[in-house]
Amino acid sequence: MRKFLMIVVVAAAFTPALAEGQNWRTVTMSRQLQNNDEMRVEVEYGAGQLKIRSVDEGLMYRMNLRYDEDRFEPVADFSGDHLTLGIESLGRNRLKGRQSGEMDLELARGVPMRLDLQFGAVQAEIDLGGLALTDLELKTGASESTIDISEPNSEEMRSATFAVGAAEFRIQNLGNLNAERIEVEAGVGSLTLGLDGRWQRDARLSIDMGVGSLVLRVPEGLGIRLQKDSFLTSLDSQGLIKRGDVYESLDFEDADYKVMIDLDAAFGSVAVVWIR
Amino acid sequence: MSQLRRVVSILGFAALLLPIGAQAQLREIITKNVSASSSGGTLVLEFADQERLEIQFDRGSVYVDGDLVGSYMVGDDLDVAWRAILSDAMMLENGALAEMLADWTVPAALAAELADAAQEIDRALEAALDDIEIEFSVDDGSVSLSIGDESTVARLVLRSLSRLGFLQDALAGLGDDFRVHVDEDVVIAEGSVFEGTLVVVEGSLRIEGRVEGDVVVVGGSLDIREGGVITGEARIADSRVVRNSGEVGGGVVDLLENDRDFEREVRDRVRDEVRDEVRRDLRNEIWNVTRIDDSFSIMSPFRRVIRGVGGVLEKLLAIFVLGLIGAGFLVFAGDNVDAISETARRAPGRAAAVGFAGTFLLIPVWILGAVALVVSIIGIPVAIAWIPLFPLAAILASVLGYVAVARNTGEWLADSSFPWTGWIRKSNPVFTLFGGLLGLSLAFIAANVISIAPFLGVLSGLLVVVGVIVTFVAMQIGFGAVLLTRAGRKPEYRRYDPDAAWEAAMNVDVDEDIDTSESASNGGVEDDA
Repeated sequence: MRKFLMIVVVAAAFTPALAEGQNWRTVTMSRQLQNNDEMRVEVEYGAGQLKIRSVDEGLMYRMNLRYDEDRFEPVADFSGDHLTLGIESLGRNRLKGRQSGEMDLELARGVPMRLDLQFGAVQAEIDLGGLALTDLELKTGASESTIDISEPNSEEMRSATFAVGAAEFRIQNLGNLNAERIEVEAGVGSLTLGLDGRWQRDARLSIDMGVGSLVLRVPEGLGIRLQKDSFLTSLDSQGLIKRGDVYESLDFEDADYKVMIDLDAAFGSVAVVWIR
Repeated sequence: MSQLRRVVSILGFAALLLPIGAQAQLREIITKNVSASSSGGTLVLEFADQERLEIQFDRGSVYVDGDLVGSYMVGDDLDVAWRAILSDAMMLENGALAEMLADWTVPAALAAELADAAQEIDRALEAALDDIEIEFSVDDGSVSLSIGDESTVARLVLRSLSRLGFLQDALAGLGDDFRVHVDEDVVIAEGSVFEGTLVVVEGSLRIEGRVEGDVVVVGGSLDIREGGVITGEARIADSRVVRNSGEVGGGVVDLLENDRDFEREVRDRVRDEVRDEVRRDLRNEIWNVTRIDDSFSIMSPFRRVIRGVGGVLEKLLAIFVLGLIGAGFLVFAGDNVDAISETARRAPGRAAAVGFAGTFLLIPVWILGAVALVVSIIGIPVAIAWIPLFPLAAILASVLGYVAVARNTGEWLADSSFPWTGWIRKSNPVFTLFGGLLGLSLAFIAANVISIAPFLGVLSGLLVVVGVIVTFVAMQIGFGAVLLTRAGRKPEYRRYDPDAAWEAAMNVDVDEDIDTSESASNGGVEDDA
């Protein structure tokens, strides 16, 4: 890694403006933790590749960026309990035909935080495992995103909101969020919600979907009750039985944890896939 | 070893020999910001007490906290050394980062002017990272000592243990009579004589006179001017010889030569890797500049011609391909093309309106059709065909319509009095088709030709706009005519037939007349025979 960084940093001196006049800058920013209580963290990123995960090492955050320095500038501001990270544009930018940058962000493990993520046309790989989240709000435009909560959240989360535009959006281990209320708003695209992970309480999941497909991946043993309000939307309700206006998993009443799903969908398809 | 102990004690290297109350530590780095680009690299550190250090290499200048301290060239030894620091700083945090930065020393191989800037950086790093509380007592030994800055000695002793190691090596086997200078620049002036061992730590030594004994320089520089004499050895450790124009009886001994060889080897290896990387990037760059785009390149002078000629060839190729497709339509669906052409000729406004509406509705119809088929479950197999075939059919209809309009255009050009349309023979539909395609693309071709000349960009742009409008209108008329005639299967107008028109006017049936006259003629011959 060190050799790679050495090559990247030294090569930057010899490779001016290779890609259509773009001047790339590589930046690493970090901040030490200092007895921080609950923080509010805002992350904004426009276009490119985005990775987020947790970090130990006594760091509040570590952010590696690669961006066109003529058009963007990094933001890393911490005041009070409010941390703002990301990249902001210098005026109006034309992204067509240009390479987009990269952002690799690590956030402190175990520090309670309210996390607000906003990103545009990105390819995102986000692993929230290890973070102590009390609130989560994620907004994305035309992205291809995978969200994983690879470890159970140590904090009780009040609510998690995912607002997705035209995207291919996949969430794994929603149970690990430890959230009481989860809201998903999707415009156009493909949405996969994995209800796996370790559930620690009953939860309510609201899904508001425009045009597209929704796949609900449900682990066996988790009780789900699906209430559907849809227009021109097909439902593959395998493993569910219809009771009145709702669909329920076969062992809903006996399940340790129950997830109530409110589905509001227009054009598209909904499928329930059971996983072992 | 005895002389070493005396020197060390005087220097305050009391950690080894004397009672000392010292506590040494580096400051805590709260935030770091390390960045690098082609124009330079920056290191910004913030400490717990809100203090800040910024060292910046920017477009050939070196700044420490905003003050200009030197200059560099991209790729020179200082730049490479700085980028090596940055690459390490990107990897390390707090304690390890502070330690790395504090331990950094000016590379011995740096040229004088670069070394000065590097020295400033070294000092700035040490001053910023230093967080030492020290109390030490110094015995008054027989060896004389001169200290430029006592705190510097303390820092030297307590943090740069490697320097102590250098000193140990440098003093091994030398005599007992020392003069030690720490953090001072020393000059043995012309005509003066120094007797004993002269030790300079963290300073420069200039010799214009005579030293009867040995010279040791650790972490500094040695400058032996013309006429300067050292009767013994000149030992250097982590130092450089600026000039050696005098006489050194025992020769110059570089105690770190082996280390430097290793360092050079590592640096060469890194450089080789960087060079390979740069070569790869340059290859990409060369590939990029030979492309036709707006960036500057060695191909710039020829770019207009290449772009213009390329554009013309591109249009001709498109005409050729469209012409072949159109010829296929004429051969295999000539009647359909006739019907579409006739509708486009007789009712271009209506066809254009229908075409425009059809174009507008294409995507909604496609999506709604797909959704309706999917939702109906039974229609899912049809949807599988619908989704790819509908756009394909739309494209085919557009091409068919465009070909039909092109043929009309070709016929119009054949009738025209333009001097360059003489080759278009109206009797041959393929000729009229190619002529029409050429006519419809004329604005684009003219734009490409004009773009070769400088300063005519506006005119070229206008012609492109005209070309786009002509093509759009032609496509809308053609597409509308295709829709109106159901792809030519339901003719709205009969194609004008001059023979039929003549027959109608003359009230004769040409075929019948010919048959009659032919049989009469044949019969006559037979009769004659």
